Amino acid sequence: MTALDRYTCEEVFRRLNDYLDRELSPAEMAMVKEHLDTCGQCASEHAFEASVLQELKSKLRRIDLPQSLLDKVGAILAEARLPEEQ
Amino acid sequence: MLVVPHYAGSLGIIAPFMALALMDHSRTQPAVPARQGLDDLLKPLLGRAYGLALRLLRNRADAEDLVQEAALGACRGYATFQPGTNFKAWFFRILTNCYYARHRRQRHEGPPVEFDETPELYLYSQTAALGLHQPPGDPAQALLNRLDSEQIAAALLGLPEEYRVVSTLYFIEDFSYEQTAGILGIPVGTVRSRLHRARKILQKLLWRVAVERGLVPEAVKERA
Repeated sequence: MTALDRYTCEEVFRRLNDYLDRELSPAEMAMVKEHLDTCGQCASEHAFEASVLQELKSKLRRIDLPQSLLDKVGAILAEARLPEEQ
Repeated sequence: MLVVPHYAGSLGIIAPFMALALMDHSRTQPAVPARQGLDDLLKPLLGRAYGLALRLLRNRADAEDLVQEAALGACRGYATFQPGTNFKAWFFRILTNCYYARHRRQRHEGPPVEFDETPELYLYSQTAALGLHQPPGDPAQALLNRLDSEQIAAALLGLPEEYRVVSTLYFIEDFSYEQTAGILGIPVGTVRSRLHRARKILQKLLWRVAVERGLVPEAVKERA
């Protein structure tokens, strides 16, 4: 990778969300990573944003499925099976 | 060719969507075996489906009703599901369409004016001002550890509708942008722009919740 191929901080920042979501092409992912490996400020911002997303996902996913809902859906599925079994 | 079955009552509104199979581009969910039964496919998804419903509606009874309605829709439309495509995306599309049919608010409203100027890296700057960027700690964790799940859910609820649905899907389930676009019936570029915008607004909303709950000091309450 030559200097001309390298992203600037601004170019990396524009791609940060897509990088975090792995929505860039493999070549772009590599170029962003290469920049993050060598730029302390961008690496710090990336680490912060990644941690925010991880924490939010983790906390928002902490939900217990009520047994009552499991039972109700089970009944819906059982009823849907009946015509096939008859 | 896809066959669109006829549905009576409120399910009629979701029938066209149920007939649209979603191709599997998932990085996390493999395509399903063709002969796997609906029970086996649906039951493992109920936890996340309920999670999505609860985060969208914030009411347990309404969330249960929504998941039941989606399950019923899946039963009735299962003949239109194409084996080899992504069942999870197919089912979540039914769920989100049920949500829109029953709980749609002002889908086309824009974000409130006050969020228009939300700066980039809002929480990064705020936590730096708060003095949380001291190595070896994680400043994001240091802030978010002060907020519980319900407080974060409350912040999410503050997003405008069209940003909130795409964000909730994003946080509850690991769908790609392309899958999310298929589920919501919008272009991939719209998913990308809404999601990026929503993250920015959400950072401000999270900070606001932290301030309102007295979890951050008065001195760094709000940045311009």
